[in-house]
Amino acid sequence: MTTPMKASVLLCAAVLLAACNGPRRVRERPIMTNGDRTPSQDRIIARAAAEGFSDNAMLTQSRDSVYAKAVATCRGTICASVVKGEISLGMTLAQAMAATRTAPAAWTVRESGAATVMVPRVLGNSPRDATGEVVMVQFDDERVNAVSYRETQGIRVVSSAADTTTDGRANAMADALIREGDQFNAAGDRARALDRYDRALAMKRADAMLEYKVATMLDLQLRPVEAQIRYQRFLQSLEIEQIRARGDANAQLADAIARAQQRLIILERQAPAPPAVPPREPTAVTPPPPDSLQRD
Amino acid sequence: MTFLTTVALRRAAVLGLAAVTLAACNNKRVSRVDPSSVTDLSGRWNDVDSKLVANALIDQSVGGQWNGQYASAHGGTPPTVIVGSFRNRTLEHVPIGTFVKDLERAYVNSGRVRLVASRDERSEVRDERDDQQTNASAETRARIGKESGANYMLQGDVQAIEDAEGREKIVFYQIDAFLVDLESNQKVWIGQHKIKKYIDRRRIGW
Repeated sequence: MTTPMKASVLLCAAVLLAACNGPRRVRERPIMTNGDRTPSQDRIIARAAAEGFSDNAMLTQSRDSVYAKAVATCRGTICASVVKGEISLGMTLAQAMAATRTAPAAWTVRESGAATVMVPRVLGNSPRDATGEVVMVQFDDERVNAVSYRETQGIRVVSSAADTTTDGRANAMADALIREGDQFNAAGDRARALDRYDRALAMKRADAMLEYKVATMLDLQLRPVEAQIRYQRFLQSLEIEQIRARGDANAQLADAIARAQQRLIILERQAPAPPAVPPREPTAVTPPPPDSLQRD
Repeated sequence: MTFLTTVALRRAAVLGLAAVTLAACNNKRVSRVDPSSVTDLSGRWNDVDSKLVANALIDQSVGGQWNGQYASAHGGTPPTVIVGSFRNRTLEHVPIGTFVKDLERAYVNSGRVRLVASRDERSEVRDERDDQQTNASAETRARIGKESGANYMLQGDVQAIEDAEGREKIVFYQIDAFLVDLESNQKVWIGQHKIKKYIDRRRIGW
């Protein structure tokens, strides 16, 4: 091998070695090394406290002035509702704010003629009264005429005295559950539909049509014994003769009765009658055998 | 110089050498240093990392919009927070409690957030309250059913990525914290802090 050849081979080897994918040194300038100091937390907390204090003082002052105005102009039950923290029909704007313990900063108020609408300024951070999360308050001639609450089953609107009672609230919730059940039924999800109807029935005991819906769902789910009981309960809950006398006015209910009676006959033929619950007899309380106690 | 003098000198030298050797063995030195000082020895997670994380999360959380929005929607009442689980997803031992407690301190001392006892803490308090119902006098007894419900739960985790080659190592920590609305499951605030460490173990160095 000649000298120029040797030189070229060495050069190639040097280039290959240089191109080797070896470890690279990190050449970043350190931002913190031994001997430095970490910033003090107390300064950050003190700054936040100072800012928070001024913000809260402003909000509290605003809330207190609204509260004073609300209490100065209220009478009787409205006053009691303000103190209890419950928006009631007939309240003024200041009283509604006082009932939710909020200041004007929490609301956006829109006026159009005699109608005024008050909605929370920040969605997802809605003010609450004693009943629940308030999503809209409507005023007519500067008095509350409807309050909307966000509840588990959707929005519940309180626009009459009957809606404000416990029964009124239960009815509204039951109606929402029935609507949900109907939607599941239409979508073919009978298990969920039955669950919603059952829950609605817990709040609306006297609803015969709801009982019929539960019976139908059980029947469609091939649970004949339970369906039979429900059909019977449905028929028992009605005064059949009266409904027949009303004729077409109750055509839908009459149709449900006829169907329930038909299904009952079929179900009774298919399966034995549901076992009657034996009358409860007083039983003598006997102590457990000593062996079972020793085992534990 | 007599033979006896020479022997005495030799003995003295041996004793002196032994004393110096013994003194050199006692190499433990303890001193108090400023807790805010940066002291990195091994390169693993340490107090400096904890403080940096706490500072960043305090600044982001207490100064965030979420508590102001809540306060303005509730007439100046600050939101109530409960500390939930904060997980260490690294292979290292990372004491989570140090920076979480710093964050709790900031919440309470700033007055912008109310804090309620966490699941572990409250069981002891409830035991004491139950005990008071039997043993404390009526006027000093703590009442039952007056606990404050939290609006938000603080959760988070610590994750790490390591990269090493030879004597060099890079460790990257990412600390995420978030506040979840207990009713709607909405995350109302997310805080984050990242730490990247370069560890170079030189064989010879000053």
